[in-house]
Amino acid sequence: MYALISNEFLKLRTSRAPWLIIAIQQILVVAALSGMAIAELDFKSPTAARLLLAHAGMTSLLVMVLGILAVAGEYRDGTITDTFLATPRRSRVIGAKLVAYTAVGVLSGILTAITALIVGMAWFSAKGYTLDPTSADVWQTLLGAALWMPLYAAIGVGLGAMVRNLASAVAIALAWIAFVEGIAINLLGDLGRWLPMASGMALDNVPQGKLLPQGAGGLVLVGYAILFAVVATLATMRSDVA
Amino acid sequence: MATVSIQSLTKRFGRVLAVDGLTFEAPPGKITGFLGPNGAGKTTTLRSLVGLVRQTSGQALIDGSRYQDLAQPRRVVGAVLESGSSRPGRSGRDHLRVLAGTTGVGATRVDEVLDMVGLTGAAGRRVAEYSLGMRQRLGLAGALLADPAVLILDEPANGLDPEGIAWLRNLMRGLAAEGRTVLISSHLLSEVAQTVDRVVIIDHGQLKFTGSLAELGSGTVVVRAVQLDQLRAALGLAGYQVTAAAGALEVTGATAEEVGRVAADVRIALSALTSEGASLEAAFLRLTSSDEAPRASRFRRPSAAPAPRGNN
Repeated sequence: MYALISNEFLKLRTSRAPWLIIAIQQILVVAALSGMAIAELDFKSPTAARLLLAHAGMTSLLVMVLGILAVAGEYRDGTITDTFLATPRRSRVIGAKLVAYTAVGVLSGILTAITALIVGMAWFSAKGYTLDPTSADVWQTLLGAALWMPLYAAIGVGLGAMVRNLASAVAIALAWIAFVEGIAINLLGDLGRWLPMASGMALDNVPQGKLLPQGAGGLVLVGYAILFAVVATLATMRSDVA
Repeated sequence: MATVSIQSLTKRFGRVLAVDGLTFEAPPGKITGFLGPNGAGKTTTLRSLVGLVRQTSGQALIDGSRYQDLAQPRRVVGAVLESGSSRPGRSGRDHLRVLAGTTGVGATRVDEVLDMVGLTGAAGRRVAEYSLGMRQRLGLAGALLADPAVLILDEPANGLDPEGIAWLRNLMRGLAAEGRTVLISSHLLSEVAQTVDRVVIIDHGQLKFTGSLAELGSGTVVVRAVQLDQLRAALGLAGYQVTAAAGALEVTGATAEEVGRVAADVRIALSALTSEGASLEAAFLRLTSSDEAPRASRFRRPSAAPAPRGNN
């Protein structure tokens, strides 16, 4: 299993997508926080720091796309054939990918949190306020944003392995976040808090809307990640790679 | 030494019967050509053999074991099932390093196989920049990484120029001469006729012929003449089975001498008379074209014509 995981890291290191995605993520964090600071943020508000920093967590969607690439990308490139030839026990392949991509998610989460903290502190001081990195509001929001990345990476791995077609998997993820969950929340009412995007926002400590408590949001996402991993593994073991 | 053995293999995809009770063997030390038109079930058979496709019934074994049960599968079987299957942004060398990582061979072996397939100079370039022929070579390099006893290649000649095909032929001959089992599929007999020792011909998922090329071509004589219709009538009267094919006649169950004698009796001048070579392709077509009458009677016809399953 160790060899399989390190082989997944080798695949990640030798392709450009992970680096591109993490770089784009940092640019988006700078742009999103700056846009918020320039346009509408009320720096006097007690939730100003949370509101600003929580934007970093929204880039977890990019990490989900990276996770989707783990399996669906191999189907697109045809390399899944070689992967399963080397490791006929496909559950081990999915397991190794989950570990490796979750680890990349942790890395992306840490980087993103640091970027957000630096940009946030810069804007607060530019506007004549201070952002205290040791305050609970700040570190809880950054920690939540950082943890959102690996959980969405794992969910992405599962989604990509279930759907297998790369374009479809990405389209499903984008459609879900853009409008499907919004529709579902309208239909479900209070139950909508348990959906994947709402749970992520809860974990991200977003000071808006009817969300679960932060810890609960994180646990719900862990549940989704496990559910997706199990379904994806079963589907992968049964399917024909034709 | 490892024999590839397909036993009563059947694979159904929904309503499509892709492989229908197929049985054949590929012995060590020989190059076996696995032939059939597109959609005949070749790719499905090869993918069942390496555990990528789960068969409906029957067995596909390598040296008596299922591929999934081999302890070190890539050390036993090297397979190229999809041409150009690599991440386009990765260099050729990195692609092989990734494969080597789960194959259990070191970096020096990567350089060795790159050299074997003539890609040393291009190893640092992104695979996206490779020609189709170079990708075929890269695929072969990956299959050869762990020095396997069995080599399975699905349509390896696709995308290769004549020089590449000659190179591939020499490589495979060398591998078979070392006692390895080589199984290559193709939809074109002419592509592999000079390479293979034995042929297995399938159509609609069923075995149509297995044996040597000489056996495939035997008993068929191709004859050309200006007075083709008269010759055809004379051969028919003499009791031979005759089919017309592009300005020539194919006579089954006759020797060249017998055909020549019939022509001499009715005073028709022949412009060509051959008993092999050209007839291989004809024999192949006769075996695999579903609207032709002469078919070996020991094979069941498909109960309903299955839709072709796309391979490649």
